[in-house]
Amino acid sequence: MITKEKLKNYAEKLMFNMNESEYETLMNEFDVIMEQMDLIGKIKDIEKVEPMTFPYNIYVNQLREDIAKDPLTTDEALQNAKEVKYNQVKVPKVVG
Amino acid sequence: MKQLDLTIEEIRKLLDSGQITSEDLIKDSLDKAHQYQEEYNSFVTILDDAKHEVKGNSVLNGIPYTLKDNISTKGILTTGSSNILSDYVPVYDATIVKKLKDSGAVLVGKTVLDELAMGGSGTTGHTGIVRNPWDKNRLIGGSSAGSAASVALGITPFSIGSDTGDSIRKPAAYGGVVGFKPTYGRISRYGVFAFASSLDNVGCITRSVKDAAYVTDILKGKDERDMTSLPNTDEVYADCLENDIKGKKLFYIKEACNLDNYKDVNDEELTATLNNFYEVIEKCREIGFIVEEVSIDRDLLNALYPAYMCISCAEATSNNANLTGILFGKRGVGNNVDDIIFDARTKGFSEFIKRRFVMGSFVLQKENQERLFLNAGRVRRMIVDKINELFKDYDGLIMPSSDSIAPIIGNKTEQLSDRYLILGNHLVIGNFGGFPSISIPSGFVNGLPVSVNITGRQFEDGLTLNMAYKIESVLGYKGQVAKGDK
Amino acid sequence: MYKVVIGLEVHCELKTNSKNFSNAQNDYSETPNIYLDTVDLGFPGILPVVNKEAAKSALKVAMALNCETPDEIIFDRKNYFYPDLPKGYQITQAYKPMGINGYLMVNIDDEDIKVDIHDLHLEEDTASLDHFNDYSLVNYNRSGIPLIEIVTEPCLHSAKEAVAFLESLRSVILYCGVSDARSDLGQMRCDVNISLMKEDATEFGTKVEIKNINAFTKVKAALEYEIERQTELLNSGGTVIMETRRFDDEDMKTYSMRTKVDAVDYKYFLEPNMPPIKITEEFLTEIKSEIPMLQYERINLYIDQYGLSRYDATTLVKEKKIADYFEDTIKGGADPKLASNWITSIVLGHLNKYQVEIDQIYLTPDMLVSLIKMVNDGKVSSKQAKEVLYKVLQDEKDPVTIVKELGIKQIDNDEEIRAMVVEILDANLNLIEDYRNGRNVFDFFVGQVMKRTRGQANPALTAKIIKEEIEKR
Repeated sequence: MITKEKLKNYAEKLMFNMNESEYETLMNEFDVIMEQMDLIGKIKDIEKVEPMTFPYNIYVNQLREDIAKDPLTTDEALQNAKEVKYNQVKVPKVVG
Repeated sequence: MKQLDLTIEEIRKLLDSGQITSEDLIKDSLDKAHQYQEEYNSFVTILDDAKHEVKGNSVLNGIPYTLKDNISTKGILTTGSSNILSDYVPVYDATIVKKLKDSGAVLVGKTVLDELAMGGSGTTGHTGIVRNPWDKNRLIGGSSAGSAASVALGITPFSIGSDTGDSIRKPAAYGGVVGFKPTYGRISRYGVFAFASSLDNVGCITRSVKDAAYVTDILKGKDERDMTSLPNTDEVYADCLENDIKGKKLFYIKEACNLDNYKDVNDEELTATLNNFYEVIEKCREIGFIVEEVSIDRDLLNALYPAYMCISCAEATSNNANLTGILFGKRGVGNNVDDIIFDARTKGFSEFIKRRFVMGSFVLQKENQERLFLNAGRVRRMIVDKINELFKDYDGLIMPSSDSIAPIIGNKTEQLSDRYLILGNHLVIGNFGGFPSISIPSGFVNGLPVSVNITGRQFEDGLTLNMAYKIESVLGYKGQVAKGDK
Repeated sequence: MYKVVIGLEVHCELKTNSKNFSNAQNDYSETPNIYLDTVDLGFPGILPVVNKEAAKSALKVAMALNCETPDEIIFDRKNYFYPDLPKGYQITQAYKPMGINGYLMVNIDDEDIKVDIHDLHLEEDTASLDHFNDYSLVNYNRSGIPLIEIVTEPCLHSAKEAVAFLESLRSVILYCGVSDARSDLGQMRCDVNISLMKEDATEFGTKVEIKNINAFTKVKAALEYEIERQTELLNSGGTVIMETRRFDDEDMKTYSMRTKVDAVDYKYFLEPNMPPIKITEEFLTEIKSEIPMLQYERINLYIDQYGLSRYDATTLVKEKKIADYFEDTIKGGADPKLASNWITSIVLGHLNKYQVEIDQIYLTPDMLVSLIKMVNDGKVSSKQAKEVLYKVLQDEKDPVTIVKELGIKQIDNDEEIRAMVVEILDANLNLIEDYRNGRNVFDFFVGQVMKRTRGQANPALTAKIIKEEIEKR
């Protein structure tokens, strides 16, 4: 069963929140999709099919040669960071 | 400013014969971009200092273009049309941006998309709604909304977009222009903000099939930075277009196209759209195509949309976990790290994509993966296997690009209703199987463009473009713009 | 009494040139944020590309640990938010690791135990965080460095076993040449799982995890503390709770970090940007051919074939370079026992004293072979050889030159020595009688000869003559 509390918990684990009415909308969407997914589960012999991740069988033989090259500069790396100290990104104290 | 209404091919001739200069083109393009910006809102950024710098002999040399704002441009704001990235200036160019630079094409603007490319309406970008150049009360569709609008408005002859479900082909169809996504992996994705990595394709929006071939010839190729990019081949797509197509076989899906399916629905626009499609079919037959109706298990077809939702939302929720406002993007406020990330994401994303993220996360939960995420992957395989099996007999799939004309802004879309579940969502087949797929304008219904889509076999981009080119030549909508000076 | 059950998760950074999924340099620096690529910073639009060397190294260690290897290489995403994880997910291997079902033989106090390896997988390191009073700083140099994680089965039963395993594992990694495995630089670190159960119990007790310990001595201390803590807790009727603890190396105690009530769901799924990479037979064969004979096997070989003591064998194999050096002298024809003696006593002493590596010293295995031969041929006495060896190391000249310089010459002349022996025997007739009665006076005779010749008499020849002359009487 999908409950609003569960959805809230998922959202919080994704590090954001939504307002009450937004959760309502989401509940309705879930109902529709889950109903359709239930139908998918009933497709004959679906459990025998290997789930597909890539659009076709991609063969990779060549792996990347182990060469260090084209580094970013420290300035480039930190250019978009809002708080920088001693060439590092500053954040509120992280407690293990 | 008339030249900008032309195709790449035509502009090339004028440039080469010295009748116009690239500088004039760029200036005209920028002027037009500004002229239509308030009304249609195609752009996040208009690059007023755009210059033609690289000189070469590429067909795109000196020709202005626009780029979807989820494609990384070094030193140029790239927002993904999301608040969380509203001040993000990348430090690197996407591989395709490098290729376009090297070809001498001139970037004049970054176009609005549905936030982080997740959406099909062109209404969810952080800088507002993109409007349809044929009727500003209507959507242009998305997510490559500004890209389609900029080409339909005659601002540039081509634009680069991304396509995860139908994000190039649908807005191109609503805008009366050509939208092409080649085989998955044909064009490098490095530097394209990932939505759903296994479904994401780069492609182009143009005013002719030939132009799509030209642009794809520039963009394609193996990229060391993209493990899924395909090896190079010798094929030049622009050279494939005139090949004889007599005897080539196309099929369309009965469950989506047969008018009998919609007997109970009194929807004139739908009927007119399908009638237009059957006219196209007739014309195809006249020039030598064999076109047949094929029936596919309705359960499989009904699974297209939910499976797409499961897969795309799942990948998206992970792909966008880098948006925390710590190293880049808008910083949140708070007393500890969790709080600042939480704040950045709560404020940075719109409701629409938050819902998608929650959906994706739900689908990936340990207890749901088997039933949702993996079953979606299983259905994906079943559908792709079915299409590949049909492709043993047929050279392509031809379908209406959409179930109707561009909707009016504010009207509820009925993507989920049974009636349109197949006809409104079949373009995701192209992404499920990574098939090359192109939408070309096929006429008008109530003054708004309708379009047909041709999807070919994996890796056969040349043949797909070839067939589309031949069909385009008998339809008569090549090179059209909504806001011409004609 | 309780039975202790320990499982280890050991992380080890690989010393490739570039990072696991990007071309950024893989290195350690005091300067923050200099070894960077877009990929390791998690910028929008980046794509990971697998490093061939990292894949090879991981497979190499997997094979060295007797693991089954997969038919293809695939990666998965482990999704969680943390400021040291710029992509918001770590690329790892959840479903098809580089190796499964392996084992490592470990010798403890002359007894072999078999430590079962659950799996070995390849993943990427996180950025590092520096903590200050009221803020933390993120340094991305470490982000994306290739990391292998070796997970044992819960099959270890004491702190001693755990540390012995870690030392053996470290040697496998060093022998494979894929990492320097320096725990002081955080290149090798380990998570410890420990539970206690009643001797006759059939089910494991509640597991406690101690996170991120680097030095092996700390692993030992943490385990010993934890065994004591849990034992006391259980004895006093309490229950152990499932939790994650950290080890404080100031007071050598463990402290609770979080209880595992709200276990994180990492939502693992296949990394869609990396198509499966087929592992060919050739690839595996190539990697296998690069795995040298490992410590455990070498020790057994040295004991069984060369007749060395376990102590000496263990000393020789501590470093692969030294073991190789030893084996080279044997290949050169030296007597294994003599070679072992010279190396463990003089050569290793020299390395220690001057803090140099064995491949940096002047003395090559060939030189050592020639010196040992001189001793065997009686050209140089053992005592002299020792002096020569020191000189070779000090003066960096080959043994033949040193022997000349020292003016070492042996008296090989039978008549000269025989005359001396006859004199000595004549003067000690009573000792000959003792000798016949079984008293060990032989060495006395030899010593007398040496005394007269200032050690230059060929010892072998001298012994032979003494024997002959006694027999004659």
